[in-house]
Amino acid sequence: MRLEKCWFCSSTIYPGHGIQFVRNDAKIFRFCRSKCHKNFKMKRNPRKLKWTKAYRRLHGKDMTQDSTFELERKRNRPERYDRNVTESTLKAIKKIDKIRVAREARHHAMRMKGKKAIEQQAAAKELEQSIHLVKAPAALQEDPSLTLPKMKIKVSQSQMEDRMEE
Amino acid sequence: MSASFTSKWSIAGRSLLGSLSNNLLGAVKTTHEVIPRLHYNSIFSQQQRTFIQMRTNLKVVDNSGAKRVMCIQALKGRRGARLGDTIIASVKEAQPRGKVKKGEVVYGVVVRAAMQRGRCDGSEIKFDDNAVVIVNKQGEPIGTRVFGPVPHELRKKKHLKILTLAEHIA
Repeated sequence: MRLEKCWFCSSTIYPGHGIQFVRNDAKIFRFCRSKCHKNFKMKRNPRKLKWTKAYRRLHGKDMTQDSTFELERKRNRPERYDRNVTESTLKAIKKIDKIRVAREARHHAMRMKGKKAIEQQAAAKELEQSIHLVKAPAALQEDPSLTLPKMKIKVSQSQMEDRMEE
Repeated sequence: MSASFTSKWSIAGRSLLGSLSNNLLGAVKTTHEVIPRLHYNSIFSQQQRTFIQMRTNLKVVDNSGAKRVMCIQALKGRRGARLGDTIIASVKEAQPRGKVKKGEVVYGVVVRAAMQRGRCDGSEIKFDDNAVVIVNKQGEPIGTRVFGPVPHELRKKKHLKILTLAEHIA
């Protein structure tokens, strides 16, 4: 039994699922579900469809090169069954999975790093420009502190009194 | 009782008809021709592939001399032949100097079928076209070479000679 990868979306195909299509040049295409199969028949390029792994890898959304992928490489030589090897392989799979998940999370964090700062800046700008959507202009004229968040401005006592009189 | 039966049929009818293994309602002859294709928007690739039956044209993929044959009888199967089955065919087109001539009636083994065939591990396999290898009555191929990929299913059907001649086993 072998767990294959879907040609289109690169997800694993478990036994009992999917369709294999053999082209006349003997190239085999395996699909995990009919969604991938139908897209293939429509001649869509997986590198252009956002939900496929091919797109994500190509556009840097997911990790491309990592040593944890070495374990999953396809090996064509069948291994003689050895109980110890099997046991250690199973342990290794668990460990490598954990490491891989941690690395992917880190990659994602790196990708999203500057996002908060950008969001804050955009929000401040929007507040400045579109405050008229929230407060009526008449109210703005009365109390200048409604325009922007409160900032400490050093004002001398006499200037404050002048403003109040106006 | 018949009323409840018909209501059940109408509710579940569409989903049942969609699946291949539809022998509950014995009246349905084949699932393929009868399906109301209501929800498909005619995209060019939404073809429902069926069995190999009388009048089906098949490509010949050995060097026996024939190029195209037309099936005149599927030896097993009420609805038609599938991947790995034997058929009786009439040679429609042949190469000028070959072992078979045009108009001859020959036996053939289907080595590639566009209709998907289920494997015992639950997956399905399908090929790009319908192709046949010409054999004699005993099941031995007449030609000496086979072109293109052939499926594993031939091993179960004891067409081992074809497997040995094949260049790629899918």
